[in-house]
Amino acid sequence: MNAPVKPAAFGAATAVATPQAAPIIRFEQVGKTYPGRRGQAAVTALRDIDLTVPRGGVVGVIGRSGAGKSTLIRLVNGLERATAGRLLIEDEDVTGLDESGWRARRRRTGMIFQHFNLLSSRTVADNVALPLEIAGAKAEEIRRRVTELLALVGLDDKAGRYPAELSGGQKQRVGIARALATRPSILLCDEATSALDPETTGQILALLRKVNRELGLTILLITHEMQVIKEIADQVAVIEGGTIVEQGGAFDVLTRPQHPTTARFLESVTGVTLPDYLAHRLQAAPSPCSSAVVRVTFTGGNATAPVISRLGSTIGVDVNILAGRIDAIADRPFGQLLIGVPSEEPTVSAVLGALRSLELDAEVLGHVA
Amino acid sequence: MSPELIRLIADSTLDTLVMVAVAAGLGTLLGLPLGVFLATSKKGELFAAPAVNAVLGIVVNATRSTPFIILVVAIIPFTRLIAGTSIGTTAAIVPLTVAATPFIARLIEGAIREVDQGLIEAARALGATPVQIVRKVLIPEALPAITLGLTLAVVSLLGFSAMVGAVGGGGLGDLGIRYGYQRFMPDVMAIVVAVLIVLVQAVQTIGEALARRLNKRLRHA
Repeated sequence: MNAPVKPAAFGAATAVATPQAAPIIRFEQVGKTYPGRRGQAAVTALRDIDLTVPRGGVVGVIGRSGAGKSTLIRLVNGLERATAGRLLIEDEDVTGLDESGWRARRRRTGMIFQHFNLLSSRTVADNVALPLEIAGAKAEEIRRRVTELLALVGLDDKAGRYPAELSGGQKQRVGIARALATRPSILLCDEATSALDPETTGQILALLRKVNRELGLTILLITHEMQVIKEIADQVAVIEGGTIVEQGGAFDVLTRPQHPTTARFLESVTGVTLPDYLAHRLQAAPSPCSSAVVRVTFTGGNATAPVISRLGSTIGVDVNILAGRIDAIADRPFGQLLIGVPSEEPTVSAVLGALRSLELDAEVLGHVA
Repeated sequence: MSPELIRLIADSTLDTLVMVAVAAGLGTLLGLPLGVFLATSKKGELFAAPAVNAVLGIVVNATRSTPFIILVVAIIPFTRLIAGTSIGTTAAIVPLTVAATPFIARLIEGAIREVDQGLIEAARALGATPVQIVRKVLIPEALPAITLGLTLAVVSLLGFSAMVGAVGGGGLGDLGIRYGYQRFMPDVMAIVVAVLIVLVQAVQTIGEALARRLNKRLRHA
């Protein structure tokens, strides 16, 4: 087996870079503190948040529940107000905006929710029409726009149905159509796929990616699932205890996590673990006839080199593949491989040297007899 | 049974229906805004006015804790002011409305509080004003529950309306007391009770059917 995947398999993916456009949302040292109730101490939900969302970008904020991500996303449409720092949206300082100013802003900011929040008393079409009614659009215009939107999300045939008659994925499509009705420039996604099964999640993320690319919509999403970040985000911020502990391009953060929280989130997504039957036999020291278990991490550029066959041909060593996973993050190949090579020296050193000379991360996890 | 008696029963039934219908209508007209306000004016809510909310809450509770028969007598001056008299079917509508309004307000408050907070948040995120949220989200979403609440209110009003007979209010209750009780005519009493039972059954059945029709949550694909 060679190194992960040839770049051709990813098509033009490598050309898709992080958007370099001017920021559409900028948090500058933003904080949010809730006043204490009846003698209790004040609660700080967010502290010193610096975050920039480029126009047309997809930025994901990941954190556990209670980390402050819900508060963070709600600052962007004024459902929560910052108590410190400055927040700029579309070049407007919104820090001191009043409620009526926020209402105008919200009509240019779409939002979708974990539990969809559709009106049970309205049909699909009337749910999508709601923001247009709120904005005072004419009946004729509403009808035209609703038809357009339902076609966009692939629900033309459900216009007259009620939400209770739809599946979760269909409900979220209605949510997306509703959020896009007033042609917003920003879409906020509040755990938008957390109530959906993995397959439906994939479909909804594909739809979000489509509206991001086709409509140039900027997406800010919050999630507790690294899978979502991996599938759609081009930038990521990891939030814990109300502060951002790590942020950067999705590929860099996901392939070289610096913070333990990030690493923990990544375990389920990109981590490769030794199969149980081997893990039990793993020991620190080599023994006669044992194999050294080496973890090789492929990232971006070097992921295309035919590494394993080269080990065989250059140092003449037999390589045993134990486990592996090859993935795409932010449209770039990334993979991890666990291989077994004879434990004796100098073979192990030669293998590590060869791998490192290809700029691959390689580390010996232990030895199995 | 004499034709006069049949006529008397028919007239009394009509009186009861008019009293209950007008009182329920007026009570809803007054109780709906009151109920909506009670449901949306606590701290941090759409029309936050905690002090006003507390005062209205006390007034509503005071009215509801007064036994209806006492309320009828206690507000006679008010009834006379509004209806010009304190006796008869028209006059009886005043205490019935006074009793129905806080009752309906509480039912509507309860129905509106049941609406998912997520829907209010979604509407706010769409840029809706508080009034738009009430008109386009809260009332339509609470309508099935409001309908059941109003059904309950009408049934209660049928009971209350029988009591206004005690103060010359007319209607089936009046008939039952004057003929059935004071003139020892058990057959009249039995008919009054039977008609009331039929009315309550009818109101309940219609109300439930309407609520079911309005409720789009229970449908399945």
